[in-house]
Amino acid sequence: MTRLIAMTAVVLLTAGAASSSAYLKLGAVVNGRVVDATWQQQPIGLFISDSGSNGVSASDVRGAVERAAATWSAVEGANVRFAYQGMTSAPPEGTDGKNTIGFLERPDLDRVLGATSFMVDATTGEIYEADIFFNSSFAFSVSPGGQNGRIDLESLALHELGHLLGLGHSAIGETERLSNGGRRVSGSGAVMFPIAMTAGAISERVLEADDKAGLLDLYPTGSVVSDTGGIVGRVTKSGRGVRGAHLVAFNPETHIMIGSFTLSESGEFVIGRLPPGPYILRVEPLDDAEPDNFFPAAVDTDFRVTYAPRMVVAPRGGSSMPIEIQVLPK
Amino acid sequence: MTGVMLAWLIPAVAFAQDGPGLRPGHFTFGAGVQQAGGYDIGDATAQLRGNGPGTLPTPFTLFQATSRFTAVTAPMMHVGIALSRTLAFETAASYGRPRLAVSIAGDPEAPAQELPGETVEQYLFEAGLTWQLPVRTGRRVAPFVAAGAGYLRQLHEDRTLVETGQVYHAGIGARYWLRGGGRSSKAFGLRGDLRLNLRRHGIDFENTMRAYPSAALFAFIGL
Repeated sequence: MTRLIAMTAVVLLTAGAASSSAYLKLGAVVNGRVVDATWQQQPIGLFISDSGSNGVSASDVRGAVERAAATWSAVEGANVRFAYQGMTSAPPEGTDGKNTIGFLERPDLDRVLGATSFMVDATTGEIYEADIFFNSSFAFSVSPGGQNGRIDLESLALHELGHLLGLGHSAIGETERLSNGGRRVSGSGAVMFPIAMTAGAISERVLEADDKAGLLDLYPTGSVVSDTGGIVGRVTKSGRGVRGAHLVAFNPETHIMIGSFTLSESGEFVIGRLPPGPYILRVEPLDDAEPDNFFPAAVDTDFRVTYAPRMVVAPRGGSSMPIEIQVLPK
Repeated sequence: MTGVMLAWLIPAVAFAQDGPGLRPGHFTFGAGVQQAGGYDIGDATAQLRGNGPGTLPTPFTLFQATSRFTAVTAPMMHVGIALSRTLAFETAASYGRPRLAVSIAGDPEAPAQELPGETVEQYLFEAGLTWQLPVRTGRRVAPFVAAGAGYLRQLHEDRTLVETGQVYHAGIGARYWLRGGGRSSKAFGLRGDLRLNLRRHGIDFENTMRAYPSAALFAFIGL
């Protein structure tokens, strides 16, 4: 018997996370082990809700979603296909066997622009159904050049489709705290960064290296495994592992940035699907974000930004020698 | 004017032919050390997409990295064959372990710092020509000019990535014969080289041509 579990991922307007780097995958616990939540069957069918909102029609939504879907499908080396299956009167929520995308009136979620919900087979990690809603309490735009005061719907669809594919949030980004307690993005290195750009911005219609690495990890074609490499290591403080440290791998020759986290008490990390080459590693605490955007459990944020003592090579088709990065308390 | 120049050159050539030289058709072997100067390998800025309207808002700098190879002393061996009394074709190989230093700046959350860096294993295989200058320098010393090209192979510290490139060089030097130097006797002596090297590819943030000086001193045996 299939045992389904529900999951939700959201993108925030001005509350939440973080600084600098990484892709994180959604997972399901199977027999005590976390497996990636992924689609086993492709193409992934998409229905569009037939209601518009605030000047944006259902047809506009379809256009934005199809452009965003095409952007994910175009990632070289990844095996991802979507298929538009039509309009539906069903809302983008609940369990009806359809992957539905559309507007939903959620004034109670005053900082949530949109969210993706899933039904996942808890025995295999297979995603059975996913819905995406855009919060119609906000003003959206589908203008090619963006529109002042309105959130770009294609950018938001690109982020939510990343969740639909099984990606969690990236922490590659910097924010500044606002007087109202929220945060404003200063810079972002991933579409999967959890906080949206300022209304009117359209730069996040383009995937970054971190987004692509995450997708390649979930849906690799045959050559990706042998064509990419990984960096492994451990972040320690006073000899003990650091949980929840955020790492950015920066290749000074290609300028790409891909991130990861230490996911356990041991402080071990893996940065996978890196184009082969040397990388500068930067470690930082998740202290200018709400860590629960990334982790369900507490993380250690009491350490200073630290760099690995040397560049580390991601070899083609393999992993680096483990490197230990020692951080100091603040 | 032309007549004056010829008058100056011809005696010099005649003298050089009487001075020490190579034995045409014979091999020369040498071993010594080369000191190569350090050089920058470029800057790189880790930038995040900026937050603003339009497709290209001002980016946000996460940090800047600059890097350089430190000077290195490397053992060097060469084999040459004399094509004439003054012209030789030579091959050479050297092995060095320069340090690849990385400096970090511009990080809003961390002070500027120099990282310990890594030690790179570097192999250089070269081929080139030396031509002994027809100038009067004494009975045992003969200056020469040299030029050539080489294949550069650099391995990062964990030996999992090789980066290759080319090195082109031109320079001057002198051979000092402790023994031999005539047409029929075996030779033994010392040799010094000063070069300007142009390196292309290999480990480099920007993949541009880099220039660095080098000096070498070694002993040679002419068969």
